[in-house]
Amino acid sequence: MSRKIERLINLTIALLATQRYLTKSEIFRTVDGYEGSAETKERMFERDKDDLRTLGITIDVGSFDPIFNDEAGYRIRSENYQLDLGEITPTEISLLSLAADAWQGAAFADAAQSAILKLSSIGVPADPIDIPGLSPKLSNSSADLETVTAAIASSDFLIFDYLATNLESQERTIVPFALSNRTGFWYVSGVDQEIQEVRTFRLDRVQGAIKHSKNKEPFEFPASFELNEADTTVTSRSAVIDVRKGKGYALRRLAISVKDLGEWDQIKVPIHTLETLGAEILWHGEDVFVREPSELRDFIVEQLQALVSNHE
Amino acid sequence: MSKSISAPLARTARLLDLVPFINTHQGIALKELAQHFEVTPAQMNADLMTLWMCGLPGYTHLELMNLDFESGFVSIGNASTLSKPRAITFQECVALLLGLDLIASSWPSDRQDLFKAAESLRKRLSEILGLPIKLSVEVGTSGAVATAIAQAIETNSGLKIRYHSLYKDQVTERIVVPVNLYESDNHQYMRAFCSTAMDYREFRVDRIDQPTPADFSAEFPANTESSQKLSFSIKIMSSSRDVTERFAIEHSTTGSSIELSSYSRQWIERSVMASGEAVLLSAPQEIRAEIAKKAQRMLNRYKEA
Repeated sequence: MSRKIERLINLTIALLATQRYLTKSEIFRTVDGYEGSAETKERMFERDKDDLRTLGITIDVGSFDPIFNDEAGYRIRSENYQLDLGEITPTEISLLSLAADAWQGAAFADAAQSAILKLSSIGVPADPIDIPGLSPKLSNSSADLETVTAAIASSDFLIFDYLATNLESQERTIVPFALSNRTGFWYVSGVDQEIQEVRTFRLDRVQGAIKHSKNKEPFEFPASFELNEADTTVTSRSAVIDVRKGKGYALRRLAISVKDLGEWDQIKVPIHTLETLGAEILWHGEDVFVREPSELRDFIVEQLQALVSNHE
Repeated sequence: MSKSISAPLARTARLLDLVPFINTHQGIALKELAQHFEVTPAQMNADLMTLWMCGLPGYTHLELMNLDFESGFVSIGNASTLSKPRAITFQECVALLLGLDLIASSWPSDRQDLFKAAESLRKRLSEILGLPIKLSVEVGTSGAVATAIAQAIETNSGLKIRYHSLYKDQVTERIVVPVNLYESDNHQYMRAFCSTAMDYREFRVDRIDQPTPADFSAEFPANTESSQKLSFSIKIMSSSRDVTERFAIEHSTTGSSIELSSYSRQWIERSVMASGEAVLLSAPQEIRAEIAKKAQRMLNRYKEA
């Protein structure tokens, strides 16, 4: 095993040190470790290239003399191989370590730690900074995050079964380009391939594993996309509801306008769906009363009738 | 690197990362080096042996790296090709960006120095990503609140807070002595002795407002788990994602009955109400009756209007 590791290191050094593309035959002749028949060496080299790429090393393929020699050549450009974060301060190193620690035991714990290992080689010591407060953790992380980021990196497809509001699974195919976490839930946003529109999905509503599939078409990133608008569909419909003074805080937070009615306040809230607003209203019981629109009133009355007959 | 890579590849990555690290930590003790890379000293010794055999084509002492580690202290020379730290991968970059966003969310707003440093890092990391992708973490907890709680726990002192109780739908002002902060079901909670209840209570951190230091000198009992859970059972009349998530249940086929429990009677009542026709509470009887009465009173009001 250590022969293979030696060969991978030697190959990396040779490809990094060269100022021009090295052909396969040059590599086989000069880099230590390529032995056996031509076919064996060929196979070794193919596997080695894949392995280095898995480690995140970019190997350029080109021809150093396009006119007289069309044999492909290989090299690793140092600007691709080396870390370039510019001048880095001790405070910045500390912040990055804290950022990495936020993943402790969660999806990217290994990736975060290996990044820190690389950063530690810069030789800038961390400056212990005094930050009061919590050091929050991303403990509620999903095992799918790695698949999602890998697909984002190459604008590939993600295919998954998504739980719709009626509990039916629907297969979705998206090209993802955003990943966010809001109050503990992970969301992935992407262009839904069936409708060619941006949609946002909550990862814990995905059923089973997420599949990653190669996208050969070029992908154009949607120009105007803001994460915080991701899950609120734009709506022009609104409802007028009365809320008892000192009550209904969750509903008041949604209000577009408030009118003082004495014992009650009258607020206007946007309607995204009757069901979600209806549930919020029912949650508040007798402290909330719907004025408009009539479809929302009808919905509430229907639910109340069922509640009475179910619990009498 | 992610867990999915094989052991020889992980070792290759470690060897590549060893060179720049030793280069900036010349003379480091082998033991310490092993610790930093989370391997045994024996493994580190084997790693260094392997590295020692590597170098530029030619592989004479002129091209091989100059590694010295026999004395138990490690130094390296002639390693210029590998001497710079390796670039961080896309995934590593994503991990750092999201992590930065998360930790920054807990800082008090007067730490502009930190926000500035984080912003500068974010910019440089985004350049490495090289794609116009969006990444963000929002915890929903304000930095000021989190800071105040952490300080109160540390100094074992009181805190005056405004708290919005969702189940009671009330905003109250109270003095608490926080004892513990923890995470559960995607939310941050504070356990504290509450001077209003004269007992321990759990508070959702994102519903705490305007914390200010306050005196609390009265004696109070040691922290114990005392609250009693209330059992209840529901029947799913029509299954939906909302119901599944509201009651935090795995599967809910229409017609199935499920046994659950909660610390709050109000939560049970409100959750059943919010579910409307979709859920029937079969027990306890008192809450059933209360729901029927309440729904009837509300219905009457709609009929009158």
